[in-house]
Amino acid sequence: MTNDRAAQGKTVIATEDLHKRFGSVEVLRGIDFQARDGEVVSILGASGSGKSTFLRCLNLLEMPSAGRLHLLGEEVRLRTGGDGPSVADRKQVDRLRTEVAMVFQNFCLWSHMTVLENLMEAPLHVQRRSRAEVRDEAEAMLERVGVTARAAAYPAQLSGGQQQRAAIARALVMKPQVLLFDEPTSALDPELVGEVLKVMRDLAAEGRTMLIVTHEMAFARDVSSRIVFLDQGRIAAEGTPKALFGGGASERFEQFIARFNQG
Amino acid sequence: MDWAFVIDTGLQLLPGVPLALQLAGLSLCVGLALAVLTHAAAIGAIAPLRWIARAYIDLFRGTPLLVQIFFIYYGLGQIPAIRASVLWPVLREPYWCAIVALALNTSAYTAEIIRGALAAVPRGEIEAARACGMSGLLLRRRIIWPIALRQGLPIYSSEAILVLKATALTSTITLTEVTGIAHKLIASSYRVLEIFVAAGAIYLAMTFVLTLAFGLFERRLSAHLIQGRA
Amino acid sequence: MMLDIFKLLGFGPEGWGQPLLLASGVTVTAAICGFALGGILGVCGAALKLSRHGALRLIGQLYTTVFRGIPEILVVYLFYFGGSVVLTKVMNLGGFPGFFSLPSFVMGVLAIGIVSGAYQTEAFRAGFLRLERGQIETAAACGMPPLLRLRRIIAPQTLRFALPALGNIWQSVLKETSLLSVIGLTELLRQAGIAAGSTRQPLLFYGVVALIFLAIGKLTGLGLAQAERHLAKPWSR
Repeated sequence: MTNDRAAQGKTVIATEDLHKRFGSVEVLRGIDFQARDGEVVSILGASGSGKSTFLRCLNLLEMPSAGRLHLLGEEVRLRTGGDGPSVADRKQVDRLRTEVAMVFQNFCLWSHMTVLENLMEAPLHVQRRSRAEVRDEAEAMLERVGVTARAAAYPAQLSGGQQQRAAIARALVMKPQVLLFDEPTSALDPELVGEVLKVMRDLAAEGRTMLIVTHEMAFARDVSSRIVFLDQGRIAAEGTPKALFGGGASERFEQFIARFNQG
Repeated sequence: MDWAFVIDTGLQLLPGVPLALQLAGLSLCVGLALAVLTHAAAIGAIAPLRWIARAYIDLFRGTPLLVQIFFIYYGLGQIPAIRASVLWPVLREPYWCAIVALALNTSAYTAEIIRGALAAVPRGEIEAARACGMSGLLLRRRIIWPIALRQGLPIYSSEAILVLKATALTSTITLTEVTGIAHKLIASSYRVLEIFVAAGAIYLAMTFVLTLAFGLFERRLSAHLIQGRA
Repeated sequence: MMLDIFKLLGFGPEGWGQPLLLASGVTVTAAICGFALGGILGVCGAALKLSRHGALRLIGQLYTTVFRGIPEILVVYLFYFGGSVVLTKVMNLGGFPGFFSLPSFVMGVLAIGIVSGAYQTEAFRAGFLRLERGQIETAAACGMPPLLRLRRIIAPQTLRFALPALGNIWQSVLKETSLLSVIGLTELLRQAGIAAGSTRQPLLFYGVVALIFLAIGKLTGLGLAQAERHLAKPWSR
C-alpha cells in the first residue's frame, strides 16, 4: 500500500550531486537522492559514512559545500561566498524547516520548558497558530505517543524513551510533510528502544514520509519502503528491503549487514 | 573579648551598611548593562570594536581594583577637559568615582560570565530550535537567553558578593561605609580584634542575605533541573 | 611631552624607573610568599573539610566561610593594627614604652596568606573530590602505605585537578598585594602614589602601574598554562 502511494507521489526531497567537506575531509562525495511522498527511507551505513551529515544537510543544519537541494518542490536558494555556500534566503529556510521536522539522537528537548510547552513552542511562535488549536494538537500527540501523564513535567524528569517519544510528538505537532530521524534510538538504553520504534512503526503505517538514519537493521528491513546504503560518502546500494537484504546487493553492503547479523 | 563592646561597635558600624549596599547595587546594575554592551561588541561584526572590547575586558580583569579606583579618583582631575566639563562637580565626588570604578570593574567580569553562560547552552537544544524554523531574535529570546540565564546565575551571584566585598576598598577614598567607619574606630580605640569581629559579622550577614536572595531566584528558575524518574 | 614621560619613567635622576622596579620586586615577592602560605593553609583546610570528624569539618567550614566572606582589606587591617597592638602591649609590659608596629611586609603577607588559604582550601577540596575512588583503592590493594599513597597517587592528581582554580587564585593574590599599600608597604601601588604626588602625574603613574600588573599577570599566567599542560600530559591523547 505504501509503495503504491510512493510510486505516484510527488518528489518531496531531492539532492543533486551533494558534497560536504569539513576542512580537508570530504564526507559527502556527490549524492544524488530522491524521496517521494509517502516513502519510508532508511539510510544505513558504517560510522563515518556520512549518513548523519547527509540527513543534516537536508534541513541545512549542515551547509552543503556543493550541489543542489530541493525541498517540497522548491530549490533551496544558496549563495556562494568566500567561505563557501551560505543561505541566501533565511525566511525560505525557516519556512521549509517547519515542514521538514527533525528528531534528534539526543532528543534535544528544551530543558527550561515543560513537555507540553516544548510541543507548543514552535507552532505558537514560528507557525503563529492559535493557542487553543496548538494546545489541542499537542495534547493529542502526547496521547498518541503515550506521554500524556508527563505533560507537566520537565525533560530532566523523564526517561530517555519518554523524552524521545515527546520529541517525536514535538515534531508531529508542527504538522510537517516530512519527518527526519537522526539515529533516534542510538542514545537509548536497550530496554527503551522498543517503545520508540513502536511509535515510528505506527507513523510509517499511516503513510507518513520518513527519512530515518538508523542502526536498527531489523526495523529498517521491516518498516522501510526503500533502503539507501552510504559508504564513504557515496550511495553504494539502494533498493527495496527485499532486494538488499535478500542477497545479491553490493559486496560492501553484504559485509556491513554480516557484522550485524553476527551479533 | 568584650562582647558588649563588640555589639556597641556593631551599632556604630551599621550606618555604613546603606552606603555599602548602595555602592554595590548601583555598580552592579550599571555594570550589568555595560557588560551586555561590551559582550555584544566583543562578538560583533566590527573588528576594531571587538578588539577594543576584548582589551577593555582584559584590562579591568587583569589590574587591581584599588589601582582602578585611584586612577579614576586621582587621575580624572588631571585632565583639563574633564575639570572644565559639566560632569566635573559629579566626578570629583568620591562617591561617583567609586561607582564608576566598581561598575567598570564588574562589567568586565560580568562580560566574561555572559560569554561563558552563552557558550554553555547545549548545542543540541539550539539545533532543535533551528530545525523548527526558529532563527534570529526569536531563537535568542525563547531558547538561548533563558537557558544561558539559568547557566550564568550561580556564577553571577558569586560576582555580586565579590562586588559587595569590594565596596570596602572605597574606604581608601574617604567613603564612610562599614570598613571606613571601622578604620576610624581602630585608629581611635586600638581595640582591633573586637572591631574586626563586629565588622566581619556585618559583612557576613550582608553576604548571607545576598546569597539567600540569589538562591531563591535560582530555585524559581530551576524547577526544570530537579532530577526524577517516570 | 613624550620625552617627559620617558624621563619620568626612566632610570635617570628625574626618573622613577628604579623605585618602580624595586616596588615590582616587592609586589611579586609579597605575592609569592602570600600564595605559598595560602598553599600550606589550603592543604590543611582541605584536609579538615574532608575529615571524618564533624568537629574538624566544622573548623574547616568556619575558616572558609569567614575568610571568603569578609573583605580582604579588613583582614589586612586586623593583622597590621592587631599585631601592632599586641606587640605594643608586650613591649610595654616588658618595660619598653611607646608604640611598636610590625613590619608591613610580614603582616601583609600573613593577611594575604590566610585569605588565599581559604580559597585554596576549596580548590584542593574540589580537586580531591574529582579523584576516582578506584585509583586510591587500587593503591591500597597493592599494599601501598598511606603516606606513599598520598605522595605518589593522591597529591599529584589532586594538584592537577586543582591547578586551574589555583591559577585564578594566584592572579587574585597578585592583585591583592596592592591592598598592602594602605599599611605602608612600598609595593607598586604605593610607589605609584608617591610618584604621582611628587610629579602631579597620577594618570601616568597609576596607568603605568596598571600595565605592570597586567604584564606580570600575563607572564605568570603563561607559565601556569605551561605547568597545566605538563601535568595533564598523561591524560592527553
